[in-house]
Amino acid sequence: MIVTVTPNPSVDVTYWVDHLKIGKETQEEYLTRATDSDISAGGKGINISIFLARMGLENIAMGFVGGYTGHVVVRALRDEGVTTNFVWTGSGETRTNLTVLEHGHEHVPILIDGPGVAVAESEMNRFMRRYRRMLKVADWVVLAGSLPPQANLAFYYELAELAKQAGAKVAISAGASCLTHCLPAAPNIVKPDIREHLSFEWMKLRTKEEIISAGKRIVRGGVEMMIVSHEVIGDIVITPDSIWEISARVQTTQFRNLVGADDALLGGVIYQIYSGAGIEQALRFGLAAGILSAESREKVCGDMGQIEHEMANVSLKRI
Amino acid sequence: MKVSEIMTRDLTSVEKDIPIKELIFILDSAKMSDMPIVDEEGKLIAFISTKDVIKAALPGYFEMLHSASFIPDMNQFAKKLGQIADEPVERHMHSDVICVEVDDDDLQAADLIIRKNLKSLPVVDVERRLVGVVRRIDLLHHLL
Repeated sequence: MIVTVTPNPSVDVTYWVDHLKIGKETQEEYLTRATDSDISAGGKGINISIFLARMGLENIAMGFVGGYTGHVVVRALRDEGVTTNFVWTGSGETRTNLTVLEHGHEHVPILIDGPGVAVAESEMNRFMRRYRRMLKVADWVVLAGSLPPQANLAFYYELAELAKQAGAKVAISAGASCLTHCLPAAPNIVKPDIREHLSFEWMKLRTKEEIISAGKRIVRGGVEMMIVSHEVIGDIVITPDSIWEISARVQTTQFRNLVGADDALLGGVIYQIYSGAGIEQALRFGLAAGILSAESREKVCGDMGQIEHEMANVSLKRI
Repeated sequence: MKVSEIMTRDLTSVEKDIPIKELIFILDSAKMSDMPIVDEEGKLIAFISTKDVIKAALPGYFEMLHSASFIPDMNQFAKKLGQIADEPVERHMHSDVICVEVDDDDLQAADLIIRKNLKSLPVVDVERRLVGVVRRIDLLHHLL
């Protein structure tokens, strides 16, 4: 069983517009009418849960939800066939994240993420009790996304430690500051969130060489795989044995919605590894899933046949 | 159809030592009327409903009355509810919990819900771990 944890989920609202009007004075000048819109459950772990469910893999989604928007998240997950096990918070509504995609510039979306609601100590204790229960059935734990406001940066470290003690494998996808705290737990897979400034306390990750150097240092600490999206259509993967560069032959102008594409990539890698595939197959499948997700209106592509077909456009080389 | 095909895949549940006030908060937040109670392994051990909590908070003589019109106001109820708010769920739960297994037939679930007048029915796996719940609306939704 795969368990995903999304501590700060969201309702994702997406608007596609022909031309975004900003900074004008009259309503006619500043009112932008969307040509299309979408509302979905969001947050990195939730996107991964939905992707895995679409691949036919049973999984359990955990985290914190609150208020009306919390119900939107839980309902959307259940409709996808994901088992839910969320702790309800009394401090407010699950946040809403807004994405605006301008025609022709979909590869550079405008993102406004809500801060989320703080989690009370009693709610955190309730979560930890449930999490320990879920570890009894978990083979993999995926810890993904930002933390709620005021949460301890070592939250993921604690969850990763408990998961490893219980014999589960751990994947973490989060910002570099949060990820830094998790590394001593030696998670199996780490994926820094490239939307945040990519920098560890001890090194900035601006160039390919810096990414490789940081990756080598991280895998020396016990991490089995670090995946870094270096360019929009390419990733660098560092393992104890190899360094891989994976890329796809696609035009960024084909992208329709980049939100969730990164999560489909990690979901694809985990799905393949969980199913017993080798690393090359897992990486090809993951990038193909990410690319197809970016090319589709929906956040994560769930068409196995399409993903397998897209794998032909993915190239993988050792560097 | 198997129960697994119609159930709501939700594991919202509590442990037997949580206080009644916490149970009420979770029931209200999650919009549930009944709550499965599980042990530290996630195995179903009991069940509690909003009806059980209301019953526990009513004055002891209430059951002897034919009508609530003999009760002057809600003060006594509120006072009693306040008194039991910190009590563990364990004191008011039912250990003789009715449930179905994930591979059971949907007809079996429907039969139990109707005959036992249940609003929801916990679903367990072969090890008795909670894996979901069948609500009345799940039956209607999947049969239509």
